Amino acid sequence: MLQKSSGFRQFGIGMSDFSEELIKSVTEDDRRETCELSGTGMQLPWLQKHIETVDTGGKKEKDFAQTTSACLSFIQEALLKHQWQQAAEYMHSYLQILEDSDSYKRQAAPEIIWKLGSEILYYHPKSNVEMFNTFADRMKNIGVMNYLKISLQHALYLLHHGMLEDANRNLSQAETWRYGEKSSSQEVLINLIQAYKGLLQYYAWSKKKRELSQLDKDDYAYNTASQSMRDHSWKTSVNLGALIQIPGVWDPFVKSYVEMLEFYGDQDGAREVLTNYAYDEKFPSNPNAHIYLYNFLKREKAPREKLISVLKILYQIVPSHKLMLEFHRLLRKSEKEEHLKLGLEVLFGVLDFAGCTKNITAWKYLAKCLRQTLMGSHLAWVQEEWNSRKNWWPGFHFSYFWAKSDWKEDKTLACEKALVAGILLGKGCRYFRYISKQDHQVSRKKIKRMKKLVKKYSIVNPGL
Amino acid sequence: MDFPGSLRPTLFRTGLLGLSNVPDMSFMCSWRDALTLPESLPQNSEVRMNGAPHMAKGLLWEPETPGPLPLLPPGPDPWHPGLTAQDLLFRGGHPFRRQPRVVLDVTEQLSRFLWDHGDIAFAPLGKLMLENFKLEGARRRFSILGGPILGKSVANLLGELLYEELVMRWQQLLLDDAFTGGALAWVPGRTPRVGQLVYPAGGTLDKLSRGPDFQEVSLTPAGDPWVLGDPGHIRLRGPVRQVVTRTVQGESLLAVRSDYHCALWKVSKQGRPAPLQVLQVEKGATGISLRLRRVYKDPETLVFRDPSPWRWADFTAHPRVLTVGDRTGVKIIDTQVKLERRSGPGMECCDHSEVCSHPERQIGTQRLVSSDTSPTPQSRPLHLASSSGPQFSLYLVDERLPLVPMLKWNHGLPSAPLLARLLPPPCPGCPRPLLLGGQGGQLQLLHITGEEASTPRLAGPPQSLPSRSDSLSAFPLLEPKSQWRLQERLKAPTIGLAAAIQPCASKPVLSLFQLSAAGDVFHQCLHLQADPGPPGDPGPDSCAPTASWTPQATACCSRWLKALLEVPPAPPVWAAPTFSHRHLLACVEQRKVEGKVPEGLRAAMAQGRLLQQRDLVSLPTAEPPPAPEPGPEDELSERLEAAWEGRAAAWWERQQGRSSGPGKQPKRHKRRTQLSSTFSSLSGRLELSDATSPPHSPDSEARPRPPVTPPSQELTQEHWAQGVPSERQQTLRDYMAKLPLREDAPGGASVPPSQTSSLRATPSRQRTLRDCAAKLPLQRDTPEGASVPSSQTSSLRATPSRQQTPILSGSQPHRKKPRMGF
Repeated sequence: MLQKSSGFRQFGIGMSDFSEELIKSVTEDDRRETCELSGTGMQLPWLQKHIETVDTGGKKEKDFAQTTSACLSFIQEALLKHQWQQAAEYMHSYLQILEDSDSYKRQAAPEIIWKLGSEILYYHPKSNVEMFNTFADRMKNIGVMNYLKISLQHALYLLHHGMLEDANRNLSQAETWRYGEKSSSQEVLINLIQAYKGLLQYYAWSKKKRELSQLDKDDYAYNTASQSMRDHSWKTSVNLGALIQIPGVWDPFVKSYVEMLEFYGDQDGAREVLTNYAYDEKFPSNPNAHIYLYNFLKREKAPREKLISVLKILYQIVPSHKLMLEFHRLLRKSEKEEHLKLGLEVLFGVLDFAGCTKNITAWKYLAKCLRQTLMGSHLAWVQEEWNSRKNWWPGFHFSYFWAKSDWKEDKTLACEKALVAGILLGKGCRYFRYISKQDHQVSRKKIKRMKKLVKKYSIVNPGL
Repeated sequence: MDFPGSLRPTLFRTGLLGLSNVPDMSFMCSWRDALTLPESLPQNSEVRMNGAPHMAKGLLWEPETPGPLPLLPPGPDPWHPGLTAQDLLFRGGHPFRRQPRVVLDVTEQLSRFLWDHGDIAFAPLGKLMLENFKLEGARRRFSILGGPILGKSVANLLGELLYEELVMRWQQLLLDDAFTGGALAWVPGRTPRVGQLVYPAGGTLDKLSRGPDFQEVSLTPAGDPWVLGDPGHIRLRGPVRQVVTRTVQGESLLAVRSDYHCALWKVSKQGRPAPLQVLQVEKGATGISLRLRRVYKDPETLVFRDPSPWRWADFTAHPRVLTVGDRTGVKIIDTQVKLERRSGPGMECCDHSEVCSHPERQIGTQRLVSSDTSPTPQSRPLHLASSSGPQFSLYLVDERLPLVPMLKWNHGLPSAPLLARLLPPPCPGCPRPLLLGGQGGQLQLLHITGEEASTPRLAGPPQSLPSRSDSLSAFPLLEPKSQWRLQERLKAPTIGLAAAIQPCASKPVLSLFQLSAAGDVFHQCLHLQADPGPPGDPGPDSCAPTASWTPQATACCSRWLKALLEVPPAPPVWAAPTFSHRHLLACVEQRKVEGKVPEGLRAAMAQGRLLQQRDLVSLPTAEPPPAPEPGPEDELSERLEAAWEGRAAAWWERQQGRSSGPGKQPKRHKRRTQLSSTFSSLSGRLELSDATSPPHSPDSEARPRPPVTPPSQELTQEHWAQGVPSERQQTLRDYMAKLPLREDAPGGASVPPSQTSSLRATPSRQRTLRDCAAKLPLQRDTPEGASVPSSQTSSLRATPSRQQTPILSGSQPHRKKPRMGF
């Protein structure tokens, strides 16, 4: 046997390398019992069982580990079958994992218990908010590592259930909690907690604001109310300020923060917050950030140039956004040639999207814009846009199927589309032919006008 | 299009899909996702408390039976699950490691080969030494002791081939992505209740005669399917990997992907398919999407950081902008700019290069277009990206904000969810069901809400649906062998998923169809349960009523089982060659059922006497096996080859100037057959006559396998490979390819150069073979029948460099990695 193995040594070594390379377990510190296929990074739970059996030579796990892992899978199964009562009963037994002699498992247990337990309590027909609260409070204090996470989720649960005061109390407690050295993840969590607290304060503030609007300015209560409003806003700005510096999507926080700043006349502060949110490169390009900024500038009555520059960026990110029609209107009003050209481009861009095919305003604008552009003898602009679309727009927009169904569903839309089709594809196109042949009392005039316009402006045979 | 006015707070870090796990906000609880923030006006919160959020709480699709039922009788072809993880894993332990790890058992595989086929492994050397070497009775012992004598080159050669083969097999076992997207589709018919199921048929899904069946199915108001008439067939050239249907501008379109061809049909209102377009894909197609009458072919020009054999493309809300996904991430590309990054106005390109360093990998991306029949395409530009990693997560990504997923969900399915279907809302205002199908047959259903202007989120807890193995209890108890066969059949990987929702007024009905790798179509009906009310209200103890088997269901199962047991069992995956005629006799006796083996042969075998011509008279004469394509001149290889066949002396004579006779083909064939039944760990498990299959884990074994043909059809090209386990065939082919089995080129046996080159151009040898196998029978019908065998042989010699590698040359051949690279 020795000789045999020596004979195979050469590739035997290769093989062991290959095994190392092919299959990697997760790093030791992770200590998750999963296996992975290097190169694809796949992890397959079903395989793990095989390997364990192979590796232990068929010996089974310790009894305790066996029962707890079986119990866990029963809970998961019950959850997926919506058998909440059954899951709760299994959960009762599963708590013994907190006594596991394996310290790793013992440490990971509270998080698992919280996940599964909260899921059961959220959906169990007999559970209620008090029960959930008790469970959350208990779980926060088993194993310190989860305190902040559970507090935050508990607060969100209360918020969802409209219990703003309880949520606020929870967040305040969590905010002051510290354990060991402040890690970066802890810091982010604390920021989040503070931001949600800020949001709660904003809710209180906006309630006060509503009350105030109902009060007379001379009323003696007015001053108290406005003072308390100011307090809330100050606290909120402290709480929200830190989080929105961290890259992320913070739409509700930014919106409420800006509303408060604007209310107290801090336009510069609001503008700064929104500009940062929209233009900071560390943030993901969030369409809403640009929309908020645009709406703010609009409220501020900023010059048209400024508004156009904001929407230009939104156009780069989401050319299908409904604000694009507003963008087109802005561009149309502008005298600059490049803006007029961009206005045409924007409309073509909107109608490229499958979700916008029935947008009658867009078609109306396009028909009008094409007419004006061609009247202004900018045939080249139209051709530039049309060239990249002429091989697919006919099938995408102007098919016989659409002609029939558009006419049936919305005659105005069909007429606008037919006008555009006629201008772009000429009188011979199927869509135009179908619509122009329709004899309908209401639309007769429209169709006549459409025919005239097509004759005049069609880019297919400009001479005719 | 509306964009949600306020997105839920999310931390953004560069990394996997732009979202880091620190801190993990979602915590992977479904309730966490159901939470909503009160809108800016707090008075809403009171309304909210009793209102909308609880609406979805009781969502539950209640299955009618505890498991799905077979819809159609089992196919006439036997099926075998193929290779399992146990076959490849090393059985020793690693006592010093805390963690178990996978070790593929290469040494054992090789030692088995040497043990069982010492003559093949050692004879050439012995023959070289001619009369100075006597192996005879000492063969067995020699196989143990002969390591040092064997020589490094043989060992290297064998080891390398085995290495490649094992790597490939192992990767396939872990994740077989051939069927990504699913090979079962529901083509809606004239009414919502009538439709057609389109799926590949044929027992082993690699048979050439296989084509998609158009099975018309009518659903009763209760959702029970009613199979109408016999299915029609379209014969295709290769195994069908994916079937996609979509209704575009009122027309039902059907796209089918096989390994090297994509095809498109238009299905008329009467259900008749008319072909529109066929596309040949040189490099192997891995995905197909359907819209605007366009079949998308994987572009070769895209450069990815990691070699990823698998790639997937789908449309976005912009018909000229596509998403292309591979194992490492998703990109959005604009086809108008010649498939380059879109630079002008348009979508942001999301290039998650960091994903590569993360263990979590993509296994599917898909645009969520619901399968409703409305002519307007669904406008919401949402994409589903599923990944496989420590967390098995699923992401919903809005293409307008690609870097921050709208929803992340840890689906926890034990196998890769290669199938996903988004369905239309069952009733107005209801969330859309999103079906996820794991390869292992597990099904999960998520409820997704959030139309247009609100963010998509989970409405209510996800639900697991019964898998085919749950149906076992509906079948009568059988004797162990048949029971085992049934269990295996039910456990076959799921390769297709289709669903239809019936717009029923009172209780929406979901009809779910599953296609297994064994070719079985199962069906299940689910009813949407009424809302049990918000928590706090005293409700029923368990809101999940348990379904039970109806007599009709068990009768249906019994009928199906009867038909299944009538199908002859699959031939054993591999059996050790044995010279005991008793075994052969048992085999023959089993075949007697087919009534094709003459009495004479059996009598001769029973008596143990020599077979004579009269015993065999009625047997069809087998066509000589394919002649190998002549390789380049190489004296040593020729000599070795001759030695291998025991004709070293003849070779020497031929070298002296005399020509050799042409009558050696049958003998070579025999050698090959012997060689082919190698590399197995299954040897001890199976008797030749016994069809009971060993336990197997999920492995979608739809790859080339030995065709089970009655003797009359033994003219197939794969003749020499008969009885060879499919998973070994590649090794064998490679092995054969390495062997310079060449001759002086016979005149007529040349291959049309174009064909040869196209075969060689394919990146993966495995795919080459599959493709080749797919083409062959068609070629056989051509007048140039003689060219067929050599074309096959040429495909076996996959790469030109390999052809020139002489055996025992002692040099390390240059070889490509076994990846199917682009």
